[in-house]
Amino acid sequence: MTVQADAGFLEEADAQKSNPEIDLKRFLVRLGFSVVILLVVLAVGFLLSPYAPNEPNFLDRLSPPTTNHWLGTDQLGRDVATRLLYGGVWSIGLAFLITSVGAIVGTAVGLAAGHFGRAADVTLMRVTDSFFAFPELIAAVTIAGLLGPSTTNMVLALILVGWMKFARLVRSLSVDLAHRDFVVQARLNGLPSRRILWRHILPNIGPSLVVLWTNAWSRSILSISGLSFLGFGVQPPNAEWGAMLLDGKAYMQTAPHLMIFPGLAILLTVLSINLTGDRLRDLIGSNELSAD
Amino acid sequence: MLSRSQVFTFILAFSRRLSGLLCVLFGVSLITFTMTYFAPGDKASAIAHARYPDAQGFPPEILEGIREEFSLNEPFFVQFFQWLSRFTQGDFGKSFASNTPVWDIFVANAAETFSLTATALVIGLVFAFGLSSIAVWRPGSLFDRISVALASIGAAMPNYWLGLLLILLFAAHLNWLPAYGTGSPSHLVLPALTLAFWITASQTRLLRAFFLEAKAAPYIETLRLRGVSEAEIFRRHILRHAAVPALTMIGLDIASLLEGTVVVELTFARGGIGSLLAGSVLSRDYPMILFLVLFSAVVYVFINSMIEILQEIMDPRISIWSPQEAVLPGEDR
Amino acid sequence: MLCIEKLQLRLHGKSILEDVSFVLPRGHTLCIVGESGSGKSSLLRAVNGLLPATFGSLSFHPKNGRPVSLKGRWKGVAGLSGSRWVMQDPISALNPKLPLGVSVGESVFAQKLSPLELKSAVSAALADVELSPEMAKRRPAQVSMGQAQRACLARALIARPDLIFFDEPLSALDAIVQKQIAATMKRIQTRFDTTFVIVTHDLGFAAAYADHMLVLRGGRVEANQSAETFFKTPESDYCRELIAAAHELGSLSETVAQVSGTKAATPC
Repeated sequence: MTVQADAGFLEEADAQKSNPEIDLKRFLVRLGFSVVILLVVLAVGFLLSPYAPNEPNFLDRLSPPTTNHWLGTDQLGRDVATRLLYGGVWSIGLAFLITSVGAIVGTAVGLAAGHFGRAADVTLMRVTDSFFAFPELIAAVTIAGLLGPSTTNMVLALILVGWMKFARLVRSLSVDLAHRDFVVQARLNGLPSRRILWRHILPNIGPSLVVLWTNAWSRSILSISGLSFLGFGVQPPNAEWGAMLLDGKAYMQTAPHLMIFPGLAILLTVLSINLTGDRLRDLIGSNELSAD
Repeated sequence: MLSRSQVFTFILAFSRRLSGLLCVLFGVSLITFTMTYFAPGDKASAIAHARYPDAQGFPPEILEGIREEFSLNEPFFVQFFQWLSRFTQGDFGKSFASNTPVWDIFVANAAETFSLTATALVIGLVFAFGLSSIAVWRPGSLFDRISVALASIGAAMPNYWLGLLLILLFAAHLNWLPAYGTGSPSHLVLPALTLAFWITASQTRLLRAFFLEAKAAPYIETLRLRGVSEAEIFRRHILRHAAVPALTMIGLDIASLLEGTVVVELTFARGGIGSLLAGSVLSRDYPMILFLVLFSAVVYVFINSMIEILQEIMDPRISIWSPQEAVLPGEDR
Repeated sequence: MLCIEKLQLRLHGKSILEDVSFVLPRGHTLCIVGESGSGKSSLLRAVNGLLPATFGSLSFHPKNGRPVSLKGRWKGVAGLSGSRWVMQDPISALNPKLPLGVSVGESVFAQKLSPLELKSAVSAALADVELSPEMAKRRPAQVSMGQAQRACLARALIARPDLIFFDEPLSALDAIVQKQIAATMKRIQTRFDTTFVIVTHDLGFAAAYADHMLVLRGGRVEANQSAETFFKTPESDYCRELIAAAHELGSLSETVAQVSGTKAATPC
């Protein structure tokens, strides 16, 4: 009787242990499917849309949503729906690029600070702190503005102001990990430090890094649109959601759809990335490893 | 009561913090200066343009004279240290554009920004506090869900868009409030609401989490078993428990409020530090840019240090004064 | 044979260990006991070069490995060659992201075995600690504490060390698993003629296991005796108190019976 109860208890404990992992897998599969479906919908949109994003049509200006133009047309008669599709590529894609470069640079700096001794640590973290002291958007406006408003300069500016949070996270996690028993064991067993870094430190930082990356991605979309809206980012006639908002601002009273749809697109995109990130964080349970 | 070695440790830790702070401030000024120094475009002609707005081209002698006047021919570090020493003595230079001292222009604009941020902060925090404390009353209730949803939407909301929507509704359609510009208090309402929404969203989320965490603490359960009323528990214990983390986050938000103001001021075509910065960047008014960027960074650093010290005072468990190595023996880096 | 003389350890101006000396012949077991804060774990860390300012002399002559001889101040050489260390908490001693087999195999990374050789070496080591070969594919979160500690044991064994350090190897486990692991340890020691240095706070376990006892108190050696004489005629009052306390709690006689029982049950 007791043996049975014990066995049952053990099984239950086992089931509880493996649950989060299964949940995570299920979630990732579902996420993958949604992304694929989204991509298919977008591709179909690109293929089916009979309009070019930057081609003016002066006969059909500022038209409200109709069956021909689902989301209406702008002041130059361009189809808003088509422009939103192309704009999404700018906003989401550029944010993806910026965040990824920032993550790589930040991770490298953080690992270097955590592993090349005290002098490197102090120097690199002071540099990181100095960069961190600038409010992101203010620095981005200044850099992008001084370099001259353009897409490239905006990307440069946002990379320059975005890598520090990764450096901080990676540094604090890797210092923390260096004291963990399994890393001490690896050192005692004479593993070369490169292998310790790749097999022991990085894989255990990974999950928290992904969560931060997701968060940074969505913030980056907001920054890109914000800078473009203020005129420091993607320049007309290119369709970017923030730039479209700037265009629409002037026609707010006569054609409110020009500013409502791009804003809605930003809101929904950022919201869904944020929610995905939240769910991912809950599932990975990166709280135990989180740095801030 | 403090032993001599404790006092020594304290002084050591304090000076280490101070030196760290100075390092960061130096780094911040170096980065700021580098940013303007390496910006493309001829500074001399930018100054000349600002001085003689009507002139078409400038003879090289004039440009050379300006280079002499502003030491633009000196090497990078000479220029940097000249600027830094003037700056630390309180001489922030004159704006290229208007030829008035940078400080005066800043002060003239600061009031606008200050009234905007202060109003937004008060409105935002009041709402956040109300929402979150009602929400944690019954976690999972409809009200709780709504406040969580509101917080999520707020975090994803581009505040320039929110500003436009408010203008569309209250200024264009209902005609209740003025849309753009500065002046009467009614001009303040829409921008302040825009900023406040964002503060409410982020703070509700955080306060709710802190309240829930505090509510789940074991000693709260003990109090409940002892028959202390929920209201009493909330007022006397949960609030205090959640104060430290909440304070930290509010402090951090004040820093990022600086960012929000830039966007909101430009969206609503208000005066203020944010629009001053954007204008200076576009007209390449370097003394103004240097001052404003450095100012925002120093404010940020200052607020962060204040938070750390306040945390230390309010929660003795976090000891920022103890040297970190002491916690981690067994490391031979 | 491991020989330590006048070991002294200071951290941040505080003395952690003072004048610790002992000699341990090959194949013998040394149990280090003492209350928490007495410097037991620091001693292990110091010997393994994980702590900075350590003075004294250490010599270690493994059967197959280069002899180690350190004098004066030593630091920074993590791990004595020819030795391995089994830690207290098996779960945190294993990388959560790596399958057990990889963790075990990493212990002989320096030998540069081919994948095939490595695989068979890992299976052999797992078999030595009574784990099935499939365990090599599991991750730490998917195994029990006992299995994880066995994997740690396998990670030590695969390197065929002359000396294994144990830092409270059983205290994270429950009683039945403790007993099983203790038996496995005993079997391994007889089979491979390995020297054990075991830090423990469990006098009962020490009584059943040790050839030599080293009692630490406040960083100093309180007793350094063979186990037999230690339990019969303790060197100091403090040791007598320790033994008496263990008797009162019942752990001493009980564990002696347990382990001697297993000894009888598992012929070597």
